[in-house]
Amino acid sequence: MKGVRIAWRVTRLNFRAQLEYRTEFLLMIAIGAIWQVSVIVFATVLLSRFTGMGGWDSSEVLLIPATRMLAHGLFVLVLGRVHLIGRQIQEGRIDIYLTRPMPVHRQVQLAFFPTNAIGDLTVAAGLMAGALSRSDLDWTAGRVSYLVAAVVGGMLLEAALFTAVASASLRFPAADYWGRWLEELLGTFGSYPLNVLPKAVGGFLTFGLPLAFVAYFPAAVLTGHGHDAGVPYWLAAVSPLLGVLAYLGARLLWRRSLGHYSGVNG
Amino acid sequence: MSGSIDVRGLSRTFHTTVRRPGFTGALRSLVNPERVAKQAVCDISFDVAPGELLALLGPNGAGKSTTIKVLTGILTPTSGTARVAGVVPYEERERNARNIGAVFGQRTQLWWDLPVRESFAILRDIYEVPKAEHAARLKEFDDLLDLSSFWDTRVRHLSLGQRVRSDLAAALLHDPQVVFLDEPTIGMDVVVKEQVREFLRHQVEQRGRTVLLTTHDMTEVERLAERVVLINHGRLVLDGSLDEIRRRFGSTWQVRATLADAHTEVQPLPGIEVLRHEGARVVFGPASCEGADAPTVHQALKAVIERYEVTDIAIDEADLEDVMRAAYVHAEAA
Repeated sequence: MKGVRIAWRVTRLNFRAQLEYRTEFLLMIAIGAIWQVSVIVFATVLLSRFTGMGGWDSSEVLLIPATRMLAHGLFVLVLGRVHLIGRQIQEGRIDIYLTRPMPVHRQVQLAFFPTNAIGDLTVAAGLMAGALSRSDLDWTAGRVSYLVAAVVGGMLLEAALFTAVASASLRFPAADYWGRWLEELLGTFGSYPLNVLPKAVGGFLTFGLPLAFVAYFPAAVLTGHGHDAGVPYWLAAVSPLLGVLAYLGARLLWRRSLGHYSGVNG
Repeated sequence: MSGSIDVRGLSRTFHTTVRRPGFTGALRSLVNPERVAKQAVCDISFDVAPGELLALLGPNGAGKSTTIKVLTGILTPTSGTARVAGVVPYEERERNARNIGAVFGQRTQLWWDLPVRESFAILRDIYEVPKAEHAARLKEFDDLLDLSSFWDTRVRHLSLGQRVRSDLAAALLHDPQVVFLDEPTIGMDVVVKEQVREFLRHQVEQRGRTVLLTTHDMTEVERLAERVVLINHGRLVLDGSLDEIRRRFGSTWQVRATLADAHTEVQPLPGIEVLRHEGARVVFGPASCEGADAPTVHQALKAVIERYEVTDIAIDEADLEDVMRAAYVHAEAA
């Protein structure tokens, strides 16, 4: 409880501090939104030029980028400071965190307020609203709950991937560049039904880099395409749970890597 | 045990890859990397008593920062043990963190975008310091460091001196028994340096804190330290008082005497030789063969006055900077 209280207090103060630099604040929100321009273009083209993709209706396909974007926005807001942790390592901030009686991971998350997440979430919320308004599905309590679980699971899965990269960065700072590649990959392939991609690519994005579990499989389950998603239905259905498990695994890896942290500058 | 530091046989090895020269060398390193072990700290042992201020000295890359990082729980040693206020820092990091304060002169522990006072308030919550106690301690620190003149300013807008003073206060707000200071006054002007020294003296003498300080500023060592540990290439070279170090490496004094009778026959004294003799003026120095056993400048002064009738006498003594330079050179040669 004390940890939550401190986290809330620091977040509030950090947010207030960002507000005081008005131009910087607005620019960061704008950059968060503009960063997602490829998703917006994808959605616009999808809705205006195509009736569907890979056997999915346009409205169904739209649920994939909407879920992914919302998960991504929440990741940036809540757990995103592990991304590009190399800077915090180089600045010696991890050293400082290690001298305080608080988990280092929590301190990394409280380093600053991610204003760009507001831009991300604004785009994501707009996309989700668009996807839901065009959807022909009957949004029962069960479906809504599953969608919420999918967004949270997707956020945790993305956090797991970036936490794994950050764990590697603690030992090998150059690993930080993999985070940029990962971000690029998630942005590029995260919006498509993976069955339109070559099998090898789809397989890699399922079992190599489990991007498919972030939004594609949950959207497939919600829209009734779960049986032809390329994996057993039960596996697609448990995507949110896999997000939780992957995140727990990544946090164990983080803890282990922190034990091997050797810092910078001697 | 309370507030003490105990280091036994501490070693820390880093493994790095050797870069071979040239493009071909770089390609070879990629295919067949050559890993080397670099011992940053090698089998060092020392202790610091509660309420003592110890200066950990050595040239750049000697292993000072690595030692402090082990003692603050940042690094795990390769071998050996360390205890800080009875706690093994790398095994119980969070428990150790409650007992210690740390200032790394080149980096801040404050929140960059927040006013200093907000950072203090966050640290109060993290360390669970009661509000009244926090306010009282802040008042005490403000009296010594003049914090209130800038504590509503955001950290990113502070000068270096203001930032380090804030960091010092932040490191001590939870009343730690042991304080680690890694080059705390680096780059600061003389006025602020003196203010910081005064603050540290107060913390040791009045509050009984144990302080481990690394610095390259010998004035700071002279003003603050009772004892010095000198390390070089990760090995402990010397552990002793400033007087001992001066005796061992600082025998570069000269005694300049003007004799009452210019025709007096001048003979060397035990441990003292005549460096120059022109008329009534004689310059004495430590006998080169005496080494660490050479008399101190005060002993030499006494010996000259007792032996000869002088009308004027003056001494030139190497300052601590010279002494440490001699010590580093000696350590390098060894």
